[in-house]
Amino acid sequence: MDAVSLFRLVRPPNPLSTGLPDAPGFEAARAKDLAREAGAAWPAAPGAVARPAPVDGTFDSALDRLVQGVSQKQAVARETMAGLMSGQQVPLHQAMIAMEEASVSFQLMVEVRNRLLESYQELMRMQV
Amino acid sequence: MIDALFSQPNYVAAKKMLEATVRRHEAIASNLANLERPNYKRLDLAPSFAQELRQAIAAKDPAQIAALEPTLAVDTSAAPRTRDGNTVHLESELLKLNQNSLAHALETQLITSSLLRLRTAISGRPT
Amino acid sequence: MINLLAGVQSTTSALTAERVRIDVASENIANANVGRHLDGKPYQRKVVHFDSVLNAQPGAHPFEPSPQALTVARVDRDLRPPRVVYNPSDPAADAQGWVALPNINIHEEMVDLIAASRAYEANLAVVKLSRHLTQQTLALGRRT
Repeated sequence: MDAVSLFRLVRPPNPLSTGLPDAPGFEAARAKDLAREAGAAWPAAPGAVARPAPVDGTFDSALDRLVQGVSQKQAVARETMAGLMSGQQVPLHQAMIAMEEASVSFQLMVEVRNRLLESYQELMRMQV
Repeated sequence: MIDALFSQPNYVAAKKMLEATVRRHEAIASNLANLERPNYKRLDLAPSFAQELRQAIAAKDPAQIAALEPTLAVDTSAAPRTRDGNTVHLESELLKLNQNSLAHALETQLITSSLLRLRTAISGRPT
Repeated sequence: MINLLAGVQSTTSALTAERVRIDVASENIANANVGRHLDGKPYQRKVVHFDSVLNAQPGAHPFEPSPQALTVARVDRDLRPPRVVYNPSDPAADAQGWVALPNINIHEEMVDLIAASRAYEANLAVVKLSRHLTQQTLALGRRT
């Protein structure tokens, strides 16, 4: 499992799609989310509704694009390093820059995750 | 979104210049290796590259800068040093070698500071 | 092999080639007055011929000249006739007292030797600088 998939696993739950913690079925919905990200086949509950694709322009789609971008950078860094190791004529500076850019992108994603988590926790602390 | 992070014209220009500097180092190494070979003509970066880079930087277009390709060409302005037509002059070649290494240091420094600045902006903490 | 040093192919081949040239020049100087060498004849001057091999660069443009590696094409025996000196006391002298000595000009050999060692040192400087550049590249993105 690469870093991006791991991130997907520990991403904070999206209250809009999984509901609030004390709503019935929250835990089940959260577990299903996690399992789907991990690639496991989840037995479809009777009457289950498929998760809708994120609508363009929403926060969900922005997050998706962020993760895709980071995934791309990681892939480029992996391929460049593999090319360098296997003796192909990859310039060293290209490999170093690719690794650094992937690292910065990943750092951005982690920071976004941390902020989301903080704001979610603050939301949960609010008294109704 | 990630692409926008790394699309600053100065950063892209520094990366492209680093690429050119490495190519130039290969050319100068070849010139010094063939210092004693009869009728060897010295190699350097194609003169058109510097002009194209200047134009692309003035236009502040990262896509245009990234599309440039530094290529090597035979240096037609070099005067022959020996009767056999070798155009490599040891002193000027060594000087170019040293200048090129300093340019390499500058460009790696620029790239490093851009990346560190991004990290500072992301984490809110200095380095 | 991981390609870490840029342009190192030209340099290593040049170092080897210039080394050969230095060795040949030293040998010529050492044997400059040998009238009777291993085969009974005067020592024959050796000459080094250089050649260039193009370093194939994958990803290079067509018509782009590629860096060239210097190699020793061959080490020939010089075909100059030996110089003949009158010295009857020399054990290698023939019936009339003439000795055939190698036609080696010491000054010419010294110039060759100096030029070759100068080129050798220049290429050593290139290797040192290439290593320095690589170390700079490896430190890309590093804080202090």
